[in-house]
Amino acid sequence: MNSDWYILRTRLGSWFSRLMAMTAKELIQFGRDTLLLFAIVYLFVFDTYMAGNVTMQLNKAVVTVHDADHSAASRELIYRFRQPYFKLGGEVLDNHAGQRLLDQGRALVVLDIPPDFAHDIKKGTSVDVQVQVDASNTVLGFLASSYTAQIIGQYGFDQALTSLGIDERALENVPMVRNEYRVWYNPNQKDAWFMPISELLVVITIMGIMLPAAAAVREKERGTIEQLLVSPLTPIQILLSKVIAMTLVILLGTAMSLFFVLHGVFAVPMKGSLILFFAVTTIYSFTTAGLGLYIATLSRNLAQAALLAILVLMPMIFLSGAWTPPEAMPMGLRQAMYISPLYYFIEMGYAILLKGAGLNILWDSLLGLALLGGLIFGFGVWRFRRQFK
Amino acid sequence: MNSRRIFAVAYKEWREIVRDRLFLSLAFVVPVSLMLIFGYGINLDVEHIPFAVVDHDKSALSRDYLHRYIDSRYFDYQGDLTSEREIGPLLADSRIRLAFIIPPRFEENLMAGRSVAIQTLIDGTFTFRTSSSKGYVIAINAAFNSELLGNYISQRLGIPLETAREMAQPVKAELRYMYNQEVKSVWSIATVLMMFVLMITPPFLTALGVVREKENGSIYNIYASTVTRGEFLIGKLTPYVGISILNILILWLMVARLFGAPFKGDPLFFFLASVIYVICTTGIGLLVSLLVRTQVAAMMMTVVVTVVPSVLYSGLLVPIASMDPAGQFEAHLFPAMYYTDIILGSFLKGVGMEQLWGKVLALLIYSIVLWTASFLMFHKRPKS
Repeated sequence: MNSDWYILRTRLGSWFSRLMAMTAKELIQFGRDTLLLFAIVYLFVFDTYMAGNVTMQLNKAVVTVHDADHSAASRELIYRFRQPYFKLGGEVLDNHAGQRLLDQGRALVVLDIPPDFAHDIKKGTSVDVQVQVDASNTVLGFLASSYTAQIIGQYGFDQALTSLGIDERALENVPMVRNEYRVWYNPNQKDAWFMPISELLVVITIMGIMLPAAAAVREKERGTIEQLLVSPLTPIQILLSKVIAMTLVILLGTAMSLFFVLHGVFAVPMKGSLILFFAVTTIYSFTTAGLGLYIATLSRNLAQAALLAILVLMPMIFLSGAWTPPEAMPMGLRQAMYISPLYYFIEMGYAILLKGAGLNILWDSLLGLALLGGLIFGFGVWRFRRQFK
Repeated sequence: MNSRRIFAVAYKEWREIVRDRLFLSLAFVVPVSLMLIFGYGINLDVEHIPFAVVDHDKSALSRDYLHRYIDSRYFDYQGDLTSEREIGPLLADSRIRLAFIIPPRFEENLMAGRSVAIQTLIDGTFTFRTSSSKGYVIAINAAFNSELLGNYISQRLGIPLETAREMAQPVKAELRYMYNQEVKSVWSIATVLMMFVLMITPPFLTALGVVREKENGSIYNIYASTVTRGEFLIGKLTPYVGISILNILILWLMVARLFGAPFKGDPLFFFLASVIYVICTTGIGLLVSLLVRTQVAAMMMTVVVTVVPSVLYSGLLVPIASMDPAGQFEAHLFPAMYYTDIILGSFLKGVGMEQLWGKVLALLIYSIVLWTASFLMFHKRPKS
């Protein structure tokens, strides 16, 4: 009895020590490629840093005015187009000049205030202000028109109150709904709290698929897989060691990006448990490794593997809510999102880092990711093992 | 330069590509599928935002107010909550993005001619979603208010409701969208996707194609041959440029036919500008391949120099005009932005050479710099 236990323990021990030796080999091989190391540090550190400099908000968009009225009323409307969203770009004398500025991309919005603007408002008839918006960039077009409509609507409302003789202090006694907004989790709407996190999760995905795929295909392409096959290693040990090594690389990169860039430079609050975040990242990177291994079984050389990886990666990233909000997906694709592991990872990533959510809230998403991950990883391993038979 | 030797190298490369069936088909399948998936998949029209309601009033007027959100296609009603305490966990778990809190005596106060404050809580994680949902809420709220004001004016001054409503909303904005009349994201995105796809595929094809020879050692055949380095680079890359030019035409056809984006510019000008762009992106792949020794490194470096900048700094999703000076400077360093302007100008705006020559010149300079740098860095007797 005792000796059985002893044999089992030594077998397990040698199984593990072989696995560890293989993992060490992967890490050493990885560490010798300086340019690869550089690329990985760049992606984790500089890229997330650069992502913090971009914004998806309207910032000093140029508004050009064609003011046919030149009254105090029209000037008051024009001066409501202020920073941070807008910047006045001067006046044009006719509509053609406005059109030309739009063509050249030198104005985003052209306001056309009709003659008799002030007169008509005083009389109480409604006036149309024509607004032309350059919508060739959807984000800017949408935001500019939404803010313009808000400004003009508020201006009209104020004019109506003035003509009724209600001044601003007596607003209490007008029936109206005052909407008080509170933006949670990112009250000042800093893009620097959002873009770098989303970029980090994307970089983890890219690495998580490409690195294991490359590590596996390389052995095939160079023929070193033959050496591994005649060694006392089992196929599971060969691929598990690759997955473990690459996961370690990813966790290390994530830690660098999290502490130096997100927390250090952009002061992202990190409300939740970091242990939970790293645990989720580990599960996620096993999931993507499963995809990577599957890609490796399909390809004979790295060029094929790289193209296949792009084919898997890009839809996964785009259809997950990293770059566009999930609420903007067409309805059919919104259902498809639930089979993308990145969707769960992104929601959990934001929930842990910005919202401070814990396991009590996230257990179902975590379960979803773990099940999906188990399935994908199992499939990848199964396909990879089959190659050796 | 000997054209026969260039042709020989190009032919050898071509045979190699054709024999790798999977690689050859992926060289065309990848661009087409990226176009299909993103063209149909990416959208920036935020709709069906899930929200919940805490209604402390439960009156006819509060239901009327809330129904303006419930019936709107922009919002997706998830139910009533009994207290504010339930909102936190739902927002944290992303089950809702928005919550409205209606105070008690909402109807009573409004009927008595007093203003009422309601609260809207918004999930602020994704900033673009936050600003668009806030825009919808403000618009719906403003419409409700001007109705209230109209009723109020009509009662107070004793005039017909129609006139009173007009008085309540004296200035209206009449919006016209230029270049993309229905503000369909699909038009502006499908066209700009050409930039994205042609930024990613040519460098990957090229970088991996060249490094493969280095890693396998077959490049020593070239080192030992009579082929000069210029002849080798041109011959080696001709098939890849050829594949990419074919891809330009395929993608162009998809954008115009499948996604129905209008093409208003000069086709010949656009085609030539696209060829210059492809030569430029191929040059990026070439430079990467000369810097690295292994294919893994080539793959990751290509990701670094293509995928990420072409998403963040090209105007695909993130508008360049909104960036701060540092971001704008970085955007000008990547060729993607110039080609985005050429695409938008040719497709949606219908402007041509006279407006866009500067952008073409930038791409041309970019290509010349990349190819010259590659030529200077490539040695037939590498330092070991």
